[in-house]
Amino acid sequence: MTLAPLDWIIILIYVVGCLSAGLWMRRYVHNVDEFSVAGRELHVNLGITSLAATELGLVTIMYTAQLGYEKGFAGAAPGVLMCLSMLLIGYTGFVIKPLRDAGVMTIPELFEKRFSKRVRWLAGFFVALGGLLNMGIFLRLGGDFLVYATGMPAHYLEWVMTILLGLVLAYTAFGGMLSVLVTDYIQFLVVGTGMVVTSVIVLHTIGWHPLIAGMRAAWAAGRASGSTPAAHPFNPFHASNYGWGYLAWQLMFQIAVVTTWQTMISRVLSTKDSKVATQMYQRTAFYYVGRFMIPGLWGAAAFVYFQRSGGLPPGLTSITAMPRFLSGILPVGLLGLVIAAMIAAEMSTVSGYMLTWETVIYNDLIMPCLKKPLAPRRQLMLTRLILVAIAVFLLFYGLWYQMPGNAWDYLAVTGNIYLASVFTLLVGGLYWSRANSTGAYAALILGAVGPITFLIVNGIVDPVHQISPAVAGTSSFVLAFLGMIVGSLLTRAPVRP
Amino acid sequence: MKDPFLLFWTVLLFASIIWYGFLVIYLGIKAGREIRDLTRTLGIAKAEREARPPEQP
Repeated sequence: MTLAPLDWIIILIYVVGCLSAGLWMRRYVHNVDEFSVAGRELHVNLGITSLAATELGLVTIMYTAQLGYEKGFAGAAPGVLMCLSMLLIGYTGFVIKPLRDAGVMTIPELFEKRFSKRVRWLAGFFVALGGLLNMGIFLRLGGDFLVYATGMPAHYLEWVMTILLGLVLAYTAFGGMLSVLVTDYIQFLVVGTGMVVTSVIVLHTIGWHPLIAGMRAAWAAGRASGSTPAAHPFNPFHASNYGWGYLAWQLMFQIAVVTTWQTMISRVLSTKDSKVATQMYQRTAFYYVGRFMIPGLWGAAAFVYFQRSGGLPPGLTSITAMPRFLSGILPVGLLGLVIAAMIAAEMSTVSGYMLTWETVIYNDLIMPCLKKPLAPRRQLMLTRLILVAIAVFLLFYGLWYQMPGNAWDYLAVTGNIYLASVFTLLVGGLYWSRANSTGAYAALILGAVGPITFLIVNGIVDPVHQISPAVAGTSSFVLAFLGMIVGSLLTRAPVRP
Repeated sequence: MKDPFLLFWTVLLFASIIWYGFLVIYLGIKAGREIRDLTRTLGIAKAEREARPPEQP
């Protein structure tokens, strides 16, 4: 173990404080509206802290550090594209303004108003499927960080994952969105402080000029020998790094994420009005650069650190190098603070995501099938049972599934199962009067084909014959839009009341 | 620093670290006040709900 008693005390104080705050909010929850969208009382600053905390999980820190390790500073390019997408949507109100004005609780609910109940159900199915598969690796990556940063024996991983999940489930199941908002606030403060302090120590330990020189030297040596890592550390357009094709898909993907990703949209739908929603996007935009850039720095620094000592020690990979590196350089007390910050990041993300997918399953898959609405008490009971079911799924999927390729590509492609199709339905439904249910069905099914094929084929074939994430992702957008346009034009126009 | 890409990432990196530090303090205060207001509003709603006589089945 690399933790001193002081580190453990800091971690314990944080976990108990956060759990108590989350459970305390339970007293304000009386119906599903308060449970799922905090009674729509969310203001802009709390909205920003919640959105930022949810979207900056330990899983995010792990995969962005992996990108930094493998691709240098250029690995943060998706963060820049996400920032640009947030600004574009925040200033134009594209999709999010009419969506918030519609007063719905989830995106598929809008599809029932615009298309049909069956489209809502099918969209809800793909949203839940993509979302749960996407979230399936969160616990494992979070557990990996904690095991490697604390120096615990590797077989403790399952226990770490289970305890983390149990803590999150406790306050999310009781307090819903209200608990998530308050714990997100605490977690935002702890994560933000931890990230700034850690970055300063990383820069101080490695040194700015040696860091740059180390990345350059590795790139030059990799090119000369043809071995990995050979990605250009600063130019994301270079063929050895992301390349143009991948970045073009990422731009499309990020626009779809900020208009469609249910965890982001649930904050939009919890705001007081659409003006607050657009302000929240404008002011959160630059945060997404740091979300990739800061852990990317730690990953790049870990790369240079291990290169200096002759390469990665046995048992470490590009994704576990960063936590081992941090545990080696952070002093006693600060290591405890950083691990508490990372637990905070994990808890805020897992709680926010669990609540989001629970809302979709309850609101869009179960509710439309009920002949008469449930009593408020039973509604709350059902939502809590769904949360427990999601937690059980996460635990078993996280333990069993082995990722093909790097974590970011897995997350992007599983998210694409519904991003491309739901984005198409939103744009068609809100801005094209000719869009109809047939087009919506075609878009939903065709949009899921590419990513699902990617997951199945890449799990079976050898690495040489695997489908690239850019091809799987881009094809899902093209097919979804084609499905919507052709399907709508070949069938009857929708009848307007 | 002749490489424009390196210059770009350097600016973004240091701006991000400063921005995160600023946000922790600024949003810490502002969002803290909003939580206070939120709990106050919900507390009033809760008190009103409890003061109402229970509905007859």
